[in-house]
Amino acid sequence: MEENVITIWNLTKKFGNFTAVDNISFDVRKGEIFGFLGANGAGKTTAMRILCGLSRPTSGEGTVAGYDINTGQEKIKRHIGYMSQKFSLYPDLTVRENIRLFGGIYGLKDREIRVKTDAMLGMLGMQSEKDKFAGDLPLGWKQKLAFSIALIHGPEIIFLDEPTGGVDPETRRRFWEMIYDTAEKGVTVFVTTHYMDEAEYCDRVSVMVDGKIAAMDSPAGLKSGYHARNMDEVFRIIAGRAEREE
Amino acid sequence: MWKYLLEKEFKQFFRDPGLPRMALMFPVLMMLVFPFAVSMEIRNINLVVVDGSRSEESGRLIEKCTASGYFRLVSVCDSPDEAMRLMDDNKADAIITIDAGFSREVETGTGFPVGIKINTVNGTRGSIGSQYLSSCIRMYMQDRNPSPDAPASPAIDVADRYSFNANMDYKLFMIPALIVIGITMITAFLPALNIVSEKETGTIEQINVTPVSKSAFIICKMIPYWAIAFFVLTACLLIAWTVFGYVCRGRLLWLYLYTTLDIVVMAGLGLLISNYSSNAQQAMFVIWFFAVIFMLMSGIFTPIASMPEWAQTITYFNPMRYYADAMRSVYLKGSTPADIWYDAAGLLAIGAAMAGWAIASYRKSSD
Amino acid sequence: MKEFAASAVKEFRHIFRDRRTILIAMVMPVVQIILFGFAVSTEVNDARIAFCGDMSDPEVRKTVDRIDQNKYLSIVGRIDRPSDAEDLFRKNRADAAVCFAQDYGSDLISSGRTGAEIICDGSDPNTARMIASYLAGVISSEQTDIGISMAGEKKISMTPVVQLMYNPAMKSSYNFVPGVMGLILMLICSMMTAVSIVREKETGTLELLLVSPVRPLWIVISKMMPYLALSAVNFASILLLSHYVMEVPVNGSLLLLSFAALVFVVSSLALGLLISVISSSQRTALLICGMGLTMPTMIFSGIIFPCESMPQILQWVSDIIPAKWFIIIVKKVMIQGDGMASVIKELSILAGMAALLLAVSIRSFKTRLQ
Repeated sequence: MEENVITIWNLTKKFGNFTAVDNISFDVRKGEIFGFLGANGAGKTTAMRILCGLSRPTSGEGTVAGYDINTGQEKIKRHIGYMSQKFSLYPDLTVRENIRLFGGIYGLKDREIRVKTDAMLGMLGMQSEKDKFAGDLPLGWKQKLAFSIALIHGPEIIFLDEPTGGVDPETRRRFWEMIYDTAEKGVTVFVTTHYMDEAEYCDRVSVMVDGKIAAMDSPAGLKSGYHARNMDEVFRIIAGRAEREE
Repeated sequence: MWKYLLEKEFKQFFRDPGLPRMALMFPVLMMLVFPFAVSMEIRNINLVVVDGSRSEESGRLIEKCTASGYFRLVSVCDSPDEAMRLMDDNKADAIITIDAGFSREVETGTGFPVGIKINTVNGTRGSIGSQYLSSCIRMYMQDRNPSPDAPASPAIDVADRYSFNANMDYKLFMIPALIVIGITMITAFLPALNIVSEKETGTIEQINVTPVSKSAFIICKMIPYWAIAFFVLTACLLIAWTVFGYVCRGRLLWLYLYTTLDIVVMAGLGLLISNYSSNAQQAMFVIWFFAVIFMLMSGIFTPIASMPEWAQTITYFNPMRYYADAMRSVYLKGSTPADIWYDAAGLLAIGAAMAGWAIASYRKSSD
Repeated sequence: MKEFAASAVKEFRHIFRDRRTILIAMVMPVVQIILFGFAVSTEVNDARIAFCGDMSDPEVRKTVDRIDQNKYLSIVGRIDRPSDAEDLFRKNRADAAVCFAQDYGSDLISSGRTGAEIICDGSDPNTARMIASYLAGVISSEQTDIGISMAGEKKISMTPVVQLMYNPAMKSSYNFVPGVMGLILMLICSMMTAVSIVREKETGTLELLLVSPVRPLWIVISKMMPYLALSAVNFASILLLSHYVMEVPVNGSLLLLSFAALVFVVSSLALGLLISVISSSQRTALLICGMGLTMPTMIFSGIIFPCESMPQILQWVSDIIPAKWFIIIVKKVMIQGDGMASVIKELSILAGMAALLLAVSIRSFKTRLQ
């Protein structure tokens, strides 16, 4: 049996009397690509923010990278990477300066940062853009850059919050290639998305509806379980039971 | 980790097209222009005379007033109504009415039929104007009556002496105050906008998922403003010296010391407000609100002692009160921290509260 | 016109959805007016006086008592030597010191002549001068009393009757209410307009509006409408507060006052528009408004420092500040109760400024679009 890098029991998050995440439990295995699906407002971003230590759960237990989500938030942060749905690198710093800043924050030495920067720029093919402001890059490049920077300190798990919003299918496909490469190196990828075709690329997906996990299996398992031809259909069957308005 | 965060703050500051220029130009310009404008000295008070006496005596009284240099004789009217109309039109600040029997009554010592009307819409101008007029009249009386019976009445010779500012130069009094305003504004406005803009661009969230501690993040944000404030302080002191010829009477070190304390307070306040604001506009409004209150209730423009009791109590929570007092004491009187330890204590207390609260309320994780 | 209404409604929704900003914008003036109306005054109260002299001398004791009983002065302590006064000033423990001559009382009785020196902390010249004159007044009335007791006759007073016009209680709120009103109206209008336009510029929604069939001019005007409404509320609340809480009278025509306020608000809105054109980011716009407008307005509009005593060049500078003219009008109409005739000059200057600002800002706004 593979080891679990994320284990969650009975996680609940309330905002006032609104329950955003309602008593969910799940495990994520090391090295897998775990998809977190759901309509807007289904609670997937909230759940992910708790896992990253950005938000405290109302109740529930769990560990991420071996640390408790209630007490070990700062330790968790050393072992994960995070890329939000909004481009959140500093637009008024250059590509190289952004890499340097985040490398430094994670405690890399100047020399290590230099080596990593060269390697990263080479891999992204952004050598000639290294002194451009991050804010001036095209959206697709920004996302690739943000992804690479989220990996700069060699985290065990990387959290991607709707990483491919707003880009063309070709860029999306290439982005997923990067995700595959990363997973192959043993990094666990936790990704939220509402593109159903992307769900097909995941090893396992969980579908959130109204703050609860309505289904969780491999894409193939889900399709056969719901007698659907593709994930889109699966999703429509499950989400059809939703009561919560967007 | 610190090195990289600091590097980022400095780069961002100097890369902004308008910010550095504005932060540095504003206090310098203020220092160059405002000292000329800030004068409480009242001159050219428009005086209207209603001379019912038209005598030699009344002429002498009027001359005494106009010769003082504080008044500008606008017109000599015949009727009080006419003079009152001039005052309603804002053409007269003061009216002096001399009754018909003036010269006789003064001669016989039976009375002094002179009335003064002062426009007191503007409090300062009114009270100072009436003081000047009264003293002119006193002088007139002294001239007329060189006390023939001097030996009979006792006399106390009173001499005035003004320490630290023998020339009664109001500019000198305002120089340290302008420095205080410039530094306070910069160190209050800029940090407040800083965090809010990170919030708005979403970059703060990227920092929040890293292991950076909140105090490190906030302290790194404060340090650049500290550097800027020192630069501004130095520039202002140089301007005061080269342009106006004023030098600090106390040790410069103490000015820098108190400025450091003030920066902690103001930057703390700025960060605190930005933590609670969801956009730049809100943050700016709140900061502006506090900045104006701090300024007007700091004793910079009007003495704290003249405020009512409850307002004086409020000023104890005003960091600018302590900072302005300290800067003035050091600059004008050469006080040392041993003399004005309470200013340091006040700033430290408020600063610790602000910075502590700012760090506590800047949450890396929400509830 | 229908499009205009639609876009104005959108602006209103936009602004009033941000409850906190609205709350701040409404509460802020109220707090400031109350604080300044009551607290800020230039009068000297409770000046702390130290003295230097022989307390066994009955004349010295009498004079010291008399100083302590004066409502503006209070005795805080005794110093041994006149030179100690500066040390007290440095520690901020006293504002002035009175030093009686040696043998003060005996000289006074034997030769009828004696001396005292008033040493003031001159670092604040105005306060120092006022304290010195209070002290001199106390000593001279002491002298008169001694004279009366010695000569046994009472002289008639040779002082004129002073009548304080318009503001008999010498309340500083009469001066600060118009000032703060000007400051607040200007800041809220210009800052909010500038920021709301720059924000749309940053997010790119401004372009979206500009490609719509509504003419740019109307877009700009519709953006100003909510702030106009907000200013009206602020104006009303400041007026009510100053009348009922601060007891500042409204002697003149309310209509005229409101009209002046409207003209002033329009000029501030135009100023905001102009700032939005020249600033590239929200931050710059906010700083220009918050620092660049506040300080000059405070210094040059005559709120604190009288314009008349500035050098000529700076008087010209103060002439181009709209708030100065507005404050003059408010003082005249509200407190002096003057009519249209006496404010026509100020009002037309203000209107001229508003028109000019509006023309320039709309023009540069349009050029920026092309």
